[in-house]
Amino acid sequence: MHILKATDVHKKFYHNEVLKGISMQVKKGEVIAIIGPSGSGKSTFLRCLNRLERIDRGSIEIEGEYMVKNGPEGKALYSPEKDIARIRLKMGMVFQSFNLFPHKSVMENLVMAPMLVKKTDLKEARETAMKYLEKVGMGQNALSYPFELSGGMQQRVAIARALCMNPDIMCFDEPTSALDPELTGEVLQVMKDLANEHMTMVVVTHEIGFAREVADRVIFMDEGVIVEEGHAEDVIIHPRQIRTKEFLSKVLMAR
Amino acid sequence: MDYISSLMPFMLEGTVITLKLFFLTLIIVLPLGVFMALARLSKFLPLNGLTQFYIWVFRGTPLLLQLLFIYFGLGTIGIMIDRFSAALVAFVLNYTAYLAEVYRSGIQSIDQGQFEAADVLGLNRWQTMTRIILPQMIKRVLPPISNEIINLIKDTSLVYAIGISELLRVAKIAAVRDAIFVPFIVAAVFYLVMTAVIQQTFKWLENHYAYYR
Repeated sequence: MHILKATDVHKKFYHNEVLKGISMQVKKGEVIAIIGPSGSGKSTFLRCLNRLERIDRGSIEIEGEYMVKNGPEGKALYSPEKDIARIRLKMGMVFQSFNLFPHKSVMENLVMAPMLVKKTDLKEARETAMKYLEKVGMGQNALSYPFELSGGMQQRVAIARALCMNPDIMCFDEPTSALDPELTGEVLQVMKDLANEHMTMVVVTHEIGFAREVADRVIFMDEGVIVEEGHAEDVIIHPRQIRTKEFLSKVLMAR
Repeated sequence: MDYISSLMPFMLEGTVITLKLFFLTLIIVLPLGVFMALARLSKFLPLNGLTQFYIWVFRGTPLLLQLLFIYFGLGTIGIMIDRFSAALVAFVLNYTAYLAEVYRSGIQSIDQGQFEAADVLGLNRWQTMTRIILPQMIKRVLPPISNEIINLIKDTSLVYAIGISELLRVAKIAAVRDAIFVPFIVAAVFYLVMTAVIQQTFKWLENHYAYYR
């Protein structure tokens, strides 16, 4: 049983076709890393899964429910808004630029959505928030404001904020790309811990080491298509496609 | 000194009119401008277009002309409206247009990521606006808003044109009657005191919102 299933996803920005038929299936508890050069469409694809971008053609299915599928004319047809709202709550999203709410304390960042969207009462929302703050090692900072925290700390709070909505799938859009190198480790560690607890994760990343170590499956995208996919070890250590080899040698050379 | 104190009752009466117009305009336009900004940003084209037209007309013509138009113009087509109401209508229409543009720039300066974060957490458009975007917008627009409000207190003097006895008109009447310059100096001091209060209020507000960056 697949928890997430995207089939033949096409997406254009004006005349620029950024996704040319992407398909991906994710099983419960699986960790998928999507790698590829910038402009390959990997972030756009992740954003489509959550309807931050709308697709032109194809289908996306989450836990057996269609968020979008092909309509009669071969154009993407989205489900009714209230179904989509419900389906989307099964997915948590972590952004490259954290996107914490700067005018709210860490605790307020975490309890706001559960209270407004899920109608959780304050006491319960706070308890859940504290649980996840402890988990990401930020229990001491519940009353801080985002500007008082380092990038790595902010990103860990952002992960905790997503977890507070109790999602079944966590999506990460280049979660360490905006961080100073010495701060990526603490964020990757939190993500490893999540993976060890069998959270289903889709991670767009440039961290090849992380992909190799943590991901069950690696997808290499370039120019809007999936060039190669398979076990992390196979794709990263023994890539078959020339484009994959070229990309990996460039990325690994830079280290 | 005796002369100045003999002026005071008139000057204070004029100041009351000035402040009445000022505060009434303010409490209407501060929130109304937000709704106008949201209409201006609406993706519903008729609403968006109508708002743009409105802003063009009321920023594009002198406030004095709008004042005369509303008071005398409406009179000629049989709509009688008292002077003060006419002034209030003109000020509200004019200042809403300006504030809408200030608020719009504030809303548009908020990072797209804030909208997206609210969106993926499941907040609806209303919750996103009221909880995430507008509170951050207010902090950013405080300096331009204080400009507009200082302009407003000075612009109230324009209503002399439709015969309302606000502060400056009272001063002018006294100056002409007594052939003396002093009433203008007194009026200037009154305006300076009022703008100083506005400045201090905004200084306080900016400090209040300094708790985050």
